Amino acid sequence: MALTITCPICGKRNGYEFKFGGEEKGPRPEEKDLTPEAWCDYVHMNKCVAGVQQEWWFHKDGCGSWFPIYRDTTTNLEQEDQKATNQEGKNDEQV
Amino acid sequence: MMNRFNHLPTLKVDTTQKIAFIYKGKKHYGVKGDTVATALYANGIRIFARSLKYHRPRGLYSLDGECSNTCMEVDGIPNVRCENTLLEDGMVIKEQNVKGSAENDYMSFLDKLDWLMPAGFYYNVMHKPAKIWPIAMKQIRKAAGLGKISPDYEMPGKFDEVFLNTDVCVIGGGPAGMMAALSSAQKGLRVILMESRPWLGGFFEYRSGQYKDRQALHERALFLANEVAAHENIRSFTSTSAVGTYNNNLVTGFQIGKKEDVFDQRYIEIRAKSVVAAAGCIERPLIFDNNERPGVMQIACALRLAKTYGLLPGKKAVFSIGHDLGLEAALELHDLGLAISCVADIREDGHDPELLKKIEDKKIPLLKGWVATKAHGSKLVNKISLASVDGLVSKSFDCDLVVASAGITPVTGHITVAQGTLKYDNHTGCFLPDQMPEKMHAAGRVLGLNDPLSVEASGTLAGLQAAFDCENCSIQEIGEARKALENLPGPVRGTKLVTAPVKGRKSFICFDEDATIKNIKQAIEKGFDVPELIKRFTATGLGPGQGGIPGHNLPLYVAKYQTLPDVSIRPTNVRPPLVPTLISTYAGVNHKMFKITPMDEMQRKDGGIFRNLGVWQRARYFSNDLTCKKEIENVRSNVGMLDGSTLGKFRIHGSDALKALQRVFVSDMSKVKQGRVKYSAMCNDDGCVIDDGVVVKQGENDYYFTTSSGRAGQTVEWIRYHTRYDGWTFALVNLTDSLGVINLSGPNARKVLEKVVDIDISNEAFGYSEYKEFKIQDTVQTRAMRLGFVGELSYELHVPSSYVKAVWLMLNEAGKEFNIKNFGVEAQNVLRMEKCHIILGQESEQRTNLLDLGLGFLWDRNKTEAKTVGAVALRQAENDQTRLKLVGFKTENNTRAPRDGALVVDEKVRGYICTARDSFSLNEAVGMALVEGELSKIGTRLEIYEDECGDDRIYGKVVKMPFYDPEGTRMKM
Repeated sequence: MALTITCPICGKRNGYEFKFGGEEKGPRPEEKDLTPEAWCDYVHMNKCVAGVQQEWWFHKDGCGSWFPIYRDTTTNLEQEDQKATNQEGKNDEQV
Repeated sequence: MMNRFNHLPTLKVDTTQKIAFIYKGKKHYGVKGDTVATALYANGIRIFARSLKYHRPRGLYSLDGECSNTCMEVDGIPNVRCENTLLEDGMVIKEQNVKGSAENDYMSFLDKLDWLMPAGFYYNVMHKPAKIWPIAMKQIRKAAGLGKISPDYEMPGKFDEVFLNTDVCVIGGGPAGMMAALSSAQKGLRVILMESRPWLGGFFEYRSGQYKDRQALHERALFLANEVAAHENIRSFTSTSAVGTYNNNLVTGFQIGKKEDVFDQRYIEIRAKSVVAAAGCIERPLIFDNNERPGVMQIACALRLAKTYGLLPGKKAVFSIGHDLGLEAALELHDLGLAISCVADIREDGHDPELLKKIEDKKIPLLKGWVATKAHGSKLVNKISLASVDGLVSKSFDCDLVVASAGITPVTGHITVAQGTLKYDNHTGCFLPDQMPEKMHAAGRVLGLNDPLSVEASGTLAGLQAAFDCENCSIQEIGEARKALENLPGPVRGTKLVTAPVKGRKSFICFDEDATIKNIKQAIEKGFDVPELIKRFTATGLGPGQGGIPGHNLPLYVAKYQTLPDVSIRPTNVRPPLVPTLISTYAGVNHKMFKITPMDEMQRKDGGIFRNLGVWQRARYFSNDLTCKKEIENVRSNVGMLDGSTLGKFRIHGSDALKALQRVFVSDMSKVKQGRVKYSAMCNDDGCVIDDGVVVKQGENDYYFTTSSGRAGQTVEWIRYHTRYDGWTFALVNLTDSLGVINLSGPNARKVLEKVVDIDISNEAFGYSEYKEFKIQDTVQTRAMRLGFVGELSYELHVPSSYVKAVWLMLNEAGKEFNIKNFGVEAQNVLRMEKCHIILGQESEQRTNLLDLGLGFLWDRNKTEAKTVGAVALRQAENDQTRLKLVGFKTENNTRAPRDGALVVDEKVRGYICTARDSFSLNEAVGMALVEGELSKIGTRLEIYEDECGDDRIYGKVVKMPFYDPEGTRMKM
């Protein structure tokens, strides 16, 4: 695997040691007044950007922690520059 | 056996040490250092194999494994690349793809039927009518193809894998690669050097030409190799081919082990900060009629046969070449005693004047602007026709060796598979690196360089560039190295001729796939214009040689034949593995790993029959009776012991431990009381059940819980994932391997346990569904739970793994008078099925939710603030009538139980059988099934279809669950 991932505890390690945990989508929504569609979107819909994506990884053969990283899906390389294409819309909403 | 030179300084064989091998049932001898191919050649064998399609004779051509000509069966392994395989004592070598022998192949008539098999004839001819295809395919497959292998073949040998980190990885151990490695290493960096031949030296190593100051090239190669070996920062891997390069500077390859190594082959994965690609050049084949007839070979092949292996490649030779290397080789071989009738050089001018003078001095006839047009001889070359490049004048010579080569071509695969690009260079006629991948540098002949000093200087430069990537080198140093290179000779003009002036019916552009120039023309006439598509349509370059032979010629020829005014010459794509790699090498060593429980040894002694279940190996049966009648009856009437050590066992503690449990378990975990055992389940976000187990409270925010065996590996990941945003404080400890579990079950279980503990364990003091901690024999700290998975009075004893054996022996001793016996996983499966206790994965599949299984009572729907995983989906699924339901059933008329996985059908599939067995406890066949809601009412008749049962159906009737002891008195007694 060409990918290397920087674990906040163990440092930069071979991608084989990690397990993918999906795109960053924010914390679980409140259950009150949650529509089935909104729930389904949260669980199953992904942006699948061609670009820098913020996503979760688990250090399975290491410290056992979950953490988000930024990865360029077109090169499969971790990005130090922390601007994710899949988070752009989200920032707008917050503003 | 042929005579060998034994005085040459370049020899890599020890002619005094004979090695015996078997070829076609007869004993032959090679010498130490021989490859299989050279040993056969030394024994006069010239036809190694027959070709894929036309069964043409094929022989030694490149000596570096660039085509399938010398693929043979060695020690029962087919398609072994003999040119790259070192001869070993006692090897058994066979030819492949022949009917009869390679010498006399009954299928060789196919060569005359080439008109029947134009390019793409598979797609064009064989589909009309469609019925023909299966028959035709069978016949074609019989006649074509390389080695044969049976489907149950198991690859012998030892395979290993190694994952390395380094600063600089250098691909290619020639002069450029060695210089790069040395210059990086001298900057204090760690370097890995990969070389596919068994020794370093590249294209210097076998040549006697002058390097400088009267030093021969091979002396220089040895000097550099010694420098490399002496440098402590350089780790050299010889016999190691780099087969893939990826972004992030990942290089993969494989190494062939020496006799003293612990592996036969090993996979190598190198992560470097910078990579130097210096794989050198191979020769571009010259295309003329019968250009692959045994006796025709490339320059380096002929020269290395003599200089490396001590074998004069023939008696009387004709050279048809287009590069100074050809002139140099002619001179060297002439000096070694080869009679050279003629050297035809494609080039009219541009020769090295010194070489020309020597050729003249030695009176070797040289024809400038001439080329070979046809090799004669039905099996081996006995004559060669030459013509002027324009085809106007011709000549013939008798000979037994034709050294043919159109030019050289850089090995650029390592650059292009890492997404680097190539550009056609009009001066050299080669594809040279254009855009290099990030932190990868090309060096040596890959850049089109040929002069020994330039090649070395480019290596030094690339080594410094790699050091710069590692921040160990200044821009100035690189500037100086670049200037030094620029002051040396640059690339020389290369020839561009692809084919002699012939029609091309028997001129082979790809040996592996038997593709001719005529096939390429046919493809172009059909409208294919891009080399990449023509490659696919004609299969050119799709063989084991990975495009080594046609990779350069095909695009050149396509560009030329299309006669377009401004056609860009585009290379075809190469893909990893760049060199044929064994699947076994990728598979490595790990494919038979499993975990054993602390009871493993004792259970084996007691005759346990073991099966792999998930990551574990577990005792499934304790006799050859696979219905486990005795084991089951003993649990129902006496007492049995089961190894439950594979259960996932965890402790969770910390100020937010309860919150975390509330998140993942569907029940209200705040109601778990100390001293009680709570059964609950975990769902995923779709409400589907992923795990079930019991939870015990040990203190405030301190719990001990179990998971199913298959989930233990994912539990920490799961809980941490679903709490990742909350910042809660809790620690999760996986105790799965540190604790063993013995399940003591049966009506006499209490009597057995009483004998080893000194506390009150009567039903009043230690009742059903209760938890206790005590010491067995005053020593072994035990966590005990009263559960009833198998439907009898039972104790689940969790003890430290190191004590499991002792406890097992104590219980066995104590239980003697009650006839205590082991029972295995299958007996447990039947026992719990009679009780309708589910096992996830058997009574559920990925889509089965908590409600489908009738476990809805576990779910506490009022704890919304806990945001329990799966709760939202369960609420949505509550009124869904379309889901499958778990039901119990028994068969009609005492028929046997259907097989697990059998389908419940009427007009269509309506569900399936999860588990069903002939029950000894109940004297009837019972089971559980997942069926559509409308079939789930008590009394519904189920029609059950088993695989290949035809019209014989088994019928069942939905009945109430559980089947055995419905009131549960037995487990509570």
